[in-house]
Amino acid sequence: MLAVANGAHQALLECRHQFQHRRWNCSILDELNVFGPVTSIPSRETAFAHALAAAGVTYAVSRACRDGHLSSCGCSRMGRPKTLRKDWIWGGCGDNLEYGYKFAQGFIDVRERERKFKRGSRKQGHALMNLHNNEAGRRAVIKMSRVTCKCHGVSGSCSLITCWQQLSNFREVGDFIRDKYDGATEVRVNKRGRLQLRDSRFRLPTANDLVYLEESPNYCIRNYTVGSLGTEGRICNRTSIDLDGCNLLCCGRGYNTMKTTLKERCQCKFKWCCEVECKTCIKSIELHTCK
Amino acid sequence: MPGTILENLSGRKLSILVAILLICQITCFLIGGFIAPSPAGSQSILSTVCLDEEPNKFHEQDRWLTKECKSIDLANEQAAVGLNASNFVFVAKMPLYGMDFSRWQQNLVGVLQIDMLYKSGQSINSVIELTLDSKLAFRSKWDSENKWTYLSSSQEKRTVECMLLEDKEPKDKYPYSCSTVPLFELGSLHHDYYLLNMRLPVDDKGMNVDLGFIHDIYLNIIHMNGGFTKVWLSLKTVFFPVLIAIMVWFWRRVHMLARTPALLEYLLLIVGVTLAFLNVPLEFLTLHFNMPYMLLLGDIRQGVFYAALLSFWIIFAGEHMLIKETPHKNSLRVYWMHLSGILVGCLSLLIFDLCERGVQLYNPFYSIWVTPIGTNLALSFIILAGISAGIYFIFLCYMIWKAFKNISIKKSVLPSMSTVRRLHYEGIIYRFNFLMLATVVCAAVTIISFILSQIAEGQNKWDENMELEVSSALFTGVYGMWNIYIFAMLVLYAPSHKQWPTDTICGDNGEEVEFSRLPTDPCPNEISSLTSFASKVSMD
Repeated sequence: MLAVANGAHQALLECRHQFQHRRWNCSILDELNVFGPVTSIPSRETAFAHALAAAGVTYAVSRACRDGHLSSCGCSRMGRPKTLRKDWIWGGCGDNLEYGYKFAQGFIDVRERERKFKRGSRKQGHALMNLHNNEAGRRAVIKMSRVTCKCHGVSGSCSLITCWQQLSNFREVGDFIRDKYDGATEVRVNKRGRLQLRDSRFRLPTANDLVYLEESPNYCIRNYTVGSLGTEGRICNRTSIDLDGCNLLCCGRGYNTMKTTLKERCQCKFKWCCEVECKTCIKSIELHTCK
Repeated sequence: MPGTILENLSGRKLSILVAILLICQITCFLIGGFIAPSPAGSQSILSTVCLDEEPNKFHEQDRWLTKECKSIDLANEQAAVGLNASNFVFVAKMPLYGMDFSRWQQNLVGVLQIDMLYKSGQSINSVIELTLDSKLAFRSKWDSENKWTYLSSSQEKRTVECMLLEDKEPKDKYPYSCSTVPLFELGSLHHDYYLLNMRLPVDDKGMNVDLGFIHDIYLNIIHMNGGFTKVWLSLKTVFFPVLIAIMVWFWRRVHMLARTPALLEYLLLIVGVTLAFLNVPLEFLTLHFNMPYMLLLGDIRQGVFYAALLSFWIIFAGEHMLIKETPHKNSLRVYWMHLSGILVGCLSLLIFDLCERGVQLYNPFYSIWVTPIGTNLALSFIILAGISAGIYFIFLCYMIWKAFKNISIKKSVLPSMSTVRRLHYEGIIYRFNFLMLATVVCAAVTIISFILSQIAEGQNKWDENMELEVSSALFTGVYGMWNIYIFAMLVLYAPSHKQWPTDTICGDNGEEVEFSRLPTDPCPNEISSLTSFASKVSMD
């Protein structure tokens, strides 16, 4: 359970990092729980949040396995998804990543599966969308993991080679899902209770891609019912023409400029293990906040 | 002069024999594929970072930090203020999940994976020299929880290659992608638990100075799978007595002849003995005794067998070249040039192995590859072995090509012979070709399975329903194949008793007069009537 909470927390931190310069800055995720965020609008952001939460749990469980904190993973029989042949002295052991994947699947998806909706209804579509995005999140962890091999045959030759999954940093997983967010596909639920492309000119989303049902609400103005905090008071970048630029972030409302002096550590040199040699710089900068 | 069984066996009997051997071969593959698990398994262990408050006591052999120590979170920079690199000890207990090692798992390899994060202002050096101060301890299941016994310790240098994932401008706290670092190799897995204590010390001479911000250190351990060892050992236990029985039978056959054994017969026996040496299920002893030299011994056993087999092929081809240039054909001295390639190759591999695994008997953390001199030495031995393998291969191909060429020349003489005799020799030539083909097939299967096992392991498997264990099947299959190949050689090249004591080929009567004994031809020493036939033809 601790691992799941860790995973959810990590997902939240990652979400804030990924969206620090966007209109929506992960505000709905503050009430994030282990079942994924509770949001009413099946938007692109919800898709991202679900995928990231699923990825966070998968990642944290796999990591806890490697830490030795979780006794249920690895090769013991308890809690393993399928009966393993332990008698073959660990030959039947699965990968930790696979365990994390299975665990997250059983843990997160159950919320969507336990409720029954009328086929083709909006709610059923929402459940299907969540399931799809959860899967995409779990797969992102696997996709970002690297396979590493070691030769240990006769005289150290590669006549015998063993490979394992190497867990990547969660930042890479976050980046990957953010890219998927940017390329998410809009779908709708059809009468047979299946997800279908809204615009058939787009290519079909794979299991790794995110899908959403409705357009995002306007995150420019504060509206708690749709989970938007608005961009008022957010710091923006005057010179940027990107999403973090004042023009886009403030939704054309303009911005206030404030001159401040900032004391910060700069030109840091890191030395293993514990020394960070930094200079203290005093900068006077202009701070822009949205109106 | 009796021929070999190969020449005298009827086609039906030969096909029955081949069928039996093929069935054995398929059984070997299936045993590996369906019963055995994969040959080796691995565990990824995330090391715990412990705070060592008395770093100068690190090298004491009865002081061990375990997972219950005061741990530090490396991500929290405040926690590390005022501490030194020597205060950080990375601790990993093997294995995970409250399991314990079984002696069936044979050996243990430890590989480090260091996850580093980029910190702004850090210089990006792609090749980092590491100095690892590490020690290993073991504990038995029946010992109390904290009774760790010293096994080994060493300060070793390693290099690790790290690079940032994207070519973009480096961002703060983004991960590096680092190569893995081999840490230790234990030749015997005799105890139930192992404990690693490791630190990355710094001094003012630039030790570990290039290290970045370490986020995590994983220890990946690789062990043989107990199930695979059991299957492997059962195969050995079955093959060993069968081989001994065939060898005894073969040697009795040879001794029943009224001549001294021929060179090929000696060689066949030598190959058999080396295979028997490889087949002895010595690994059973590791279940009771601590034998760290098993890895080295295993390498030597394998090497000796391959050396004998390679020598056998050269001489087999040479003896079938059908050229009578020297009267002392059947002596090993004739082949010194061909065999020296094998000798040089095997010796250089042996020296390399002694340098690496021999030293590892005393220091499991040792690796020949880390120092520039060691790398050069190891590389030169391996290159030398490679060159001699190449020379050997050229020689072998040349001799086989020549043998085939000679046979085809001699074949043209066949129509001038009587029908019975012609059919007989055509059969012999056919079977000689057949055996050469079997050798080529065996070699090809070995090489293909080697490549296949790389592919099978290189890609990760997420297929739930894959019951077949490819790499195990290839291992047991190839092992069984070489055993069966040698069985077949011993059986088919044993002297046949069909034609003795009445000697038809070297007889002096009527039609066979052209095959009469020649002064230069030591007929009793011939093992194959094919060669005697060919020598007659060439004399004509």
